[in-house]
Amino acid sequence: MKINEIFVEKVLTAFIKNELYKFNFSRGILGLSGGLDSSVCAFLAAKSLGKTNVFALIMPYGDTYPQDVDDAREVADLLGINSRIIDISPMVDAYFKIFPTSDRIIIGNKMARERMSILYDFSVREKALILGTSNKTESLLGYGTLHGDMASAINPIGDLYKTQIRQLAAHLGVPTKIIKKTPTAGLWPGQTDEKELGMTYKNIDMILYQLVDLRRTPADLLKKGFDKKNIERITRLIKSSEFKRKLPPIAKLSWRTVGLNFLYSFDREK
Amino acid sequence: MKIGLVQSSPHLGDVQKNLKSHFAYIEKAKKENVQLIIFPELSLTGYTLQDLVEEVALCPDSDPTFKKIKKASEEISIVFGFVEKKDNGLFYNSSAYLSDGEIKNIHRKVFPPTYGMFEEMKFFAQGKNFHTFSTPFGKTGMMICYDFLQLGACYLLFAGGSDTIIVLSAAPGRGYSEEDKFESSNMWESMGASLSRFSTSFVVYCNRVGFEDGKVFAGGSFIYGPAGNLMAKARYVEEEFLIHDINLDEIAEVRKKRLYKRDDKPEIILEALKRIISSYED
Repeated sequence: MKINEIFVEKVLTAFIKNELYKFNFSRGILGLSGGLDSSVCAFLAAKSLGKTNVFALIMPYGDTYPQDVDDAREVADLLGINSRIIDISPMVDAYFKIFPTSDRIIIGNKMARERMSILYDFSVREKALILGTSNKTESLLGYGTLHGDMASAINPIGDLYKTQIRQLAAHLGVPTKIIKKTPTAGLWPGQTDEKELGMTYKNIDMILYQLVDLRRTPADLLKKGFDKKNIERITRLIKSSEFKRKLPPIAKLSWRTVGLNFLYSFDREK
Repeated sequence: MKIGLVQSSPHLGDVQKNLKSHFAYIEKAKKENVQLIIFPELSLTGYTLQDLVEEVALCPDSDPTFKKIKKASEEISIVFGFVEKKDNGLFYNSSAYLSDGEIKNIHRKVFPPTYGMFEEMKFFAQGKNFHTFSTPFGKTGMMICYDFLQLGACYLLFAGGSDTIIVLSAAPGRGYSEEDKFESSNMWESMGASLSRFSTSFVVYCNRVGFEDGKVFAGGSFIYGPAGNLMAKARYVEEEFLIHDINLDEIAEVRKKRLYKRDDKPEIILEALKRIISSYED
């Protein structure tokens, strides 16, 4: 599972530059949370495009996580990239004033989609393409908000597990305190990914790597001594989140249907 | 004799743009006295074509683009990849060897991969043959990408008397490795080393670079000599024009010591294959 950081950096920085240029963009924009994934993405983008061509939006909900805002700022300053802080609380509060709820998932999803909405708006304002910051662990477990933090134009880090991103982060020079930070989706105060998922990322990634990359079966993993409950939980999460990794099905009526047999590449004629 | 390998990144679906870049490389090659310039698989069209296949297809005998490249081959031998439309209405993932202003050979990919991330047989018909043909580089045979990973295909070029084997490729990198390359690059390299050694032929592998729909074409083009020795190697992932001077005398030199060609028994293999085929159970 170990990656060669130098090679991965070379591939990912080339990918960012190449994809942007194909679509006639020279600038990239991303949401910077102060966490590991978006910091790594910002480092890659700055190395690939040059600091003046990267725009980071820091989008806290009021003063809920002041430390994260400070960390995000620190990354932006360290890289010398452009950044802007936008407080999403006025928009989110206005909505929940009309449709109140105490469901933390509903509130978290709304916030993630508010950030997405602002990113897409600024993408046009700044003529910058949106860089996705979802990793392979989240994507396989469905641990993200559909059309929220999972939305982007291109995603440089989507085929790296969380633990591999940690490895890459150290090589890129991401500040140690960010690498060591407890991962959180920031859904509510005190929330951490590992607590919510009930396992450490190290364990999750080891199981995912065996199941997905090496195509081992749950039975194989059981024999190898992995915890039965963890294997079952991960297998269930992968299955139940398939819809987050796909475009919605279209009822086929004609001979030729978008998505099924009207087939063109994303990079067509670029 | 100088060979030039163009490890480039074609524009997906834009034949005219690619043609221009082919000519730029051809001009460069001529300046360097290169006698044979080789482009990667589907170099005129890009790889992930899907439904673009029919829009970018060419008929070698009548197409004006093809005529232009033919004309350029009066001065330098040119190998490139394109989508071929045959009179039967089918489309092939093909490669052409042009020289002296003529088409010396066309190879149609016999093994278009269709599994996992690959879906070539959804869009392409399959070629049915592996040829060797005479060139200034001795008896030459062409393969396209996955053809090269088939033992049978390699054997056919060997049995056909190959001196030089040209492989055009659009191979995406796959798999982590702790080395500074994709794990999948090892697969091509080990076949290059083995086939060159056991066919006592030059093996010239030209892979592309660039990105299509997230696929990262791995580069790492190479030339192995007839003793199985690595002679030249391009970088991974990055664009490069690799030029290398080869000495054809090495072939005869190696064959003094390694008699695989003399000792090949195609008749026995053919009869054995017939027996195997006649006893298929499924």
